[in-house]
Amino acid sequence: MFDRPTEFDHATLLDVLARADVARLTALAETLLPQLQDVEVLHSRTGLVMLPMRDTVKGTDFHLGEVLVAEAHLRAKGCEGYGMVVGRNLEQAMAMAVVDAVASLGQSPEIQAFLAAESAEITARDTARLCEVEATRVDMETF
Amino acid sequence: MAYVATRGGARAIDQSERLYRAELGQIDATRVTTLRQSLPNLIDRVMGEASLYEPDLAALALAQTGGDLYEAVLLLRAWRTTQPRLAIAAPVLQEDLITHRRISAAFKDIPGGQILGPTLDYAHRLLATDVLQGRPYTPTPVEPAATPAPAHQPSLAAWQKAQGLVADPLREDVAPDAIPDLTREPLLFPAKRAHTLQSLARADTGGMLALGYAAMRGYGNAHPTVNELRLAEAEVRVTHPSGTVFSAGRVKVSQAEVTSKGKSGQLNLGFCATLGWNEVKVISGATLDLNAAAAPKGSPVEEEFFLYHTEPVEASGFCIHFKLPHYVTFQSALDALRGAKTAEVPA
Repeated sequence: MFDRPTEFDHATLLDVLARADVARLTALAETLLPQLQDVEVLHSRTGLVMLPMRDTVKGTDFHLGEVLVAEAHLRAKGCEGYGMVVGRNLEQAMAMAVVDAVASLGQSPEIQAFLAAESAEITARDTARLCEVEATRVDMETF
Repeated sequence: MAYVATRGGARAIDQSERLYRAELGQIDATRVTTLRQSLPNLIDRVMGEASLYEPDLAALALAQTGGDLYEAVLLLRAWRTTQPRLAIAAPVLQEDLITHRRISAAFKDIPGGQILGPTLDYAHRLLATDVLQGRPYTPTPVEPAATPAPAHQPSLAAWQKAQGLVADPLREDVAPDAIPDLTREPLLFPAKRAHTLQSLARADTGGMLALGYAAMRGYGNAHPTVNELRLAEAEVRVTHPSGTVFSAGRVKVSQAEVTSKGKSGQLNLGFCATLGWNEVKVISGATLDLNAAAAPKGSPVEEEFFLYHTEPVEASGFCIHFKLPHYVTFQSALDALRGAKTAEVPA
């Protein structure tokens, strides 16, 4: 079930990076950083993302509340990188931006292997939780 | 009401704050982490009422206030104003929620089935006093099913609309940046539905329960049955500068629909959702939403009544301001009382 094309589309790449293990993501970013030249950091900050939701009764979109995020945006010679993660870990967002920038120049085998491994781990984590959730499925009988 | 500036007491004020904080002791990262890990439901409640999702900051606010919920919510609401708004995420849709718990008290056989998820609904409420005797309480692990539950569950309301059981009003598409926003504009009545639902999402849990319970006991127009209750995670979908939409991570959300028989031969539904997992809040809020349509002026289920009186920072702030010096107001009342007594005494 973990078979994937070697090339990850941009949305999947970003989804996986945002949920990847922080220590491993940071380590990967450090190894990739020398490939970027003249890095200019446009943003490295925390801020708010407003989260709307759709009411299931009348279909009205409303604001549920704000989520604190960490954002990083960088520009290097010939590319840009962007990271945004729920929480306040600026280092995690910057690491995501570095990998995004390098990947925009071409997804190396190293990046693809990282994405495949992290994606598999995220899927395994979600599956394990949903197996626990499934154990609570109930079939009520009425008398 | 008359107010007056007071002077003096600076030393006493300083010492009183020290006395308050001394009782809480040193606050360090370990305490914050312990609070976050051990009190997830309280953290969720504070985040929902503060309208700011960040568990570490909520735990810090609780640590700093010794668990005074109103002070904790105030701290978070105040801190929130220091942060820029970077984006508005894509709207969360019910069918996209990663669902951990989903039940209906109205319909036994709902599409997708009933999943109890994490709950104490059917548990004995027994205090584990052995813990105080040095015997730790270790929870029995879950026995996972062989196959996972579907991550996404169908919408019961959508099925009811398709069956003609509930009204299916035409919805108007609104761009995310055009959704009415209480953090940028005042709450006016009759309230826009987006304002009502945002206000309920950040309302005080206890206040909503009190007013919702009043409706449930008969001070409303409709008795609620839980149509659908969900505890879930929602993806925070944001846009990359290139235009790619992606998830920056997940947040916990809860939502409830409650139902009652309407006069038009259909079921009426009320709705409420909030950040974090907080079932009492969303069931109470949905009950208030269900009752609001035909509520008489001044009743606890009238929209203006329940929205104004469940705003936690305004309500608690107004309550505690009565502790502050009101000497001029009171002196004036006292003078009037003495004047009346003097007038009563025959010369």
